[in-house]
Amino acid sequence: MLFYASKLSFLLMAPKPQRIRHMVGTTWQSAMKKARTMSTDDTETDSSMKDAFSKYADYLNNINDKRERVVKASRDITMNSKKVIFQVHRMSKQNKEEVLDKAVNDLKAVTDQYLSRLVKELQGTDFWKLRRAYSPGVQEYVEAATLCNFCKTGTLLTLDEINATLLPLSDPSVEPLQINILDYMLGLADLTGELMRLAIGRISEGELDFAEKICSFVREIYRNLTLIAPEMDDSSDMKQKMETMLQSVMKIENACFSVHVRGSEYIPLLGSADTSYPLLGMLDIE
Amino acid sequence: MKRIPNIMLSAFRNTCTTLCSHHFLNPKPYFPLFLISTQNISLPNSTSLSKPRYWHSTFFSMTSGADSPNLSSEKLEKQFEDFRVRLEESGNLKERIRAVATEIDSVTRLIYASLLLVHQSRPVAEVIEKAKSQIGVLKELYSRLSEIVSECPGQYYRYHGDWKSETQTVVSLLAFMHWLETGTLVLHSEVEEKLGLTPTEFGLDVDDYLIGICFMSNELPRYVVNQVTAGDYDCPRKVLKFLTDLHAAFRMLNLRNDFLRKKFDGMKYDLRKVEEVFYDVKIRGLAANGDSAGAKQAQGQS
Repeated sequence: MLFYASKLSFLLMAPKPQRIRHMVGTTWQSAMKKARTMSTDDTETDSSMKDAFSKYADYLNNINDKRERVVKASRDITMNSKKVIFQVHRMSKQNKEEVLDKAVNDLKAVTDQYLSRLVKELQGTDFWKLRRAYSPGVQEYVEAATLCNFCKTGTLLTLDEINATLLPLSDPSVEPLQINILDYMLGLADLTGELMRLAIGRISEGELDFAEKICSFVREIYRNLTLIAPEMDDSSDMKQKMETMLQSVMKIENACFSVHVRGSEYIPLLGSADTSYPLLGMLDIE
Repeated sequence: MKRIPNIMLSAFRNTCTTLCSHHFLNPKPYFPLFLISTQNISLPNSTSLSKPRYWHSTFFSMTSGADSPNLSSEKLEKQFEDFRVRLEESGNLKERIRAVATEIDSVTRLIYASLLLVHQSRPVAEVIEKAKSQIGVLKELYSRLSEIVSECPGQYYRYHGDWKSETQTVVSLLAFMHWLETGTLVLHSEVEEKLGLTPTEFGLDVDDYLIGICFMSNELPRYVVNQVTAGDYDCPRKVLKFLTDLHAAFRMLNLRNDFLRKKFDGMKYDLRKVEEVFYDVKIRGLAANGDSAGAKQAQGQS
């Protein structure tokens, strides 16, 4: 309030009222007109400053709009990749093939519909400049893709392999969308969490074999990532994920252990009221 | 009670040692406290036959080392080895960049220390001479930076954070020097030129330029105050016009709620302080072309 009060007192006594009036709440256009009518040689600098700033304004508008579009695309990728992951979790002994096939198809749809939107936006310097805008989506996508791949083949989908699937999305004349090493590793860290859930779920259903495959797979990933996680740019994100990953690995290992130890007793019994197996969930006859 | 096979016992022992390691933080008791059931479980014959086969096969699948697991393990190891190499390279690059950025920072401080002399009303020309001599050093440092970054094309913004704040300070100092010399605002392209930067190879980020300009405006209130104290009564008028135009130009921009926006918001306080100094000088008729009539009128009113 004081600020405007002092401005008003300026109005009352200043020798050049037009110039002062232009400071007090007029639109830029009318102020510009007044500036031009003033017969000072300062209008030269004024207009060069204004021209320059209108260019800066255009630049900022463009990059900010683009950033918004990238964020939106990233959110869609995240949402739909999560759906793929949930689909994979619906796997059970009976419907493994069909569930997995649907997941793979859904993933392809995510690639074609949503990831392709990133292709358009990220050219040249945008790829690194806007990384914070699209990284979460890409991480989720890597998580979904590697999960599907593991369930189908039992192996790790490598960065090169996943990037090869993205090449067809873009015209050969433009720079292709390629996932960078950092987003891939961050997505991989999240994958271990999902695999942990899958493993525990499989054990409850009696698929110990699969659970043990998951166990050794996740161990391998953890072991390998331990070496290189600290070397990542800005490794604070990854540090947190590594701690979570270790927890996941141990959960899987403990679950496998308990099944092993109970081995002789682990015969799923139908209708058993035995309360010493509270964590083994549903019981089927083999 | 069923006799536990030796294989099972060793597996149990192994897992026990893992559990006892200091890493063990598992809060959820996935495994029961009693590890060996003391109950006598009567099992139908058919299941007791299938049981050993089941465990047998499980174990074999873990230890047999079938072809596909080995191959995929190799692929996995190779990928991560490749990652390690690449990350090590980028880590080295980052270190080299930081080294140059630190040098830029120390040269910047030299320039700043020279420029501070204007607050002590040393002649502008002399102060600027000293500061200008360092610009060549800056130019050389930025060209070194550009060389390092050109080793990984397209990754300017990957490492941008490592020279961002130093560059913003450089822009603010160059802008202040330019204003002291010419009374005008140095433009983005002009700063690029002074530092020997090229937009196609290693340019000046527009955001960094704008933030640097905001930092420069922070210097102006203090400058104006000290100039008036030293007897230069025309300074406030010039600074006020400049800052008003600058603020108006900034208002043309649509800003997000980021650091630049914060700095821009600070500019209006600088503007206000300069207005107050201008007012103080004006009202007392101290300004060189001061309307003594207008001033007397003000004195009459207050």
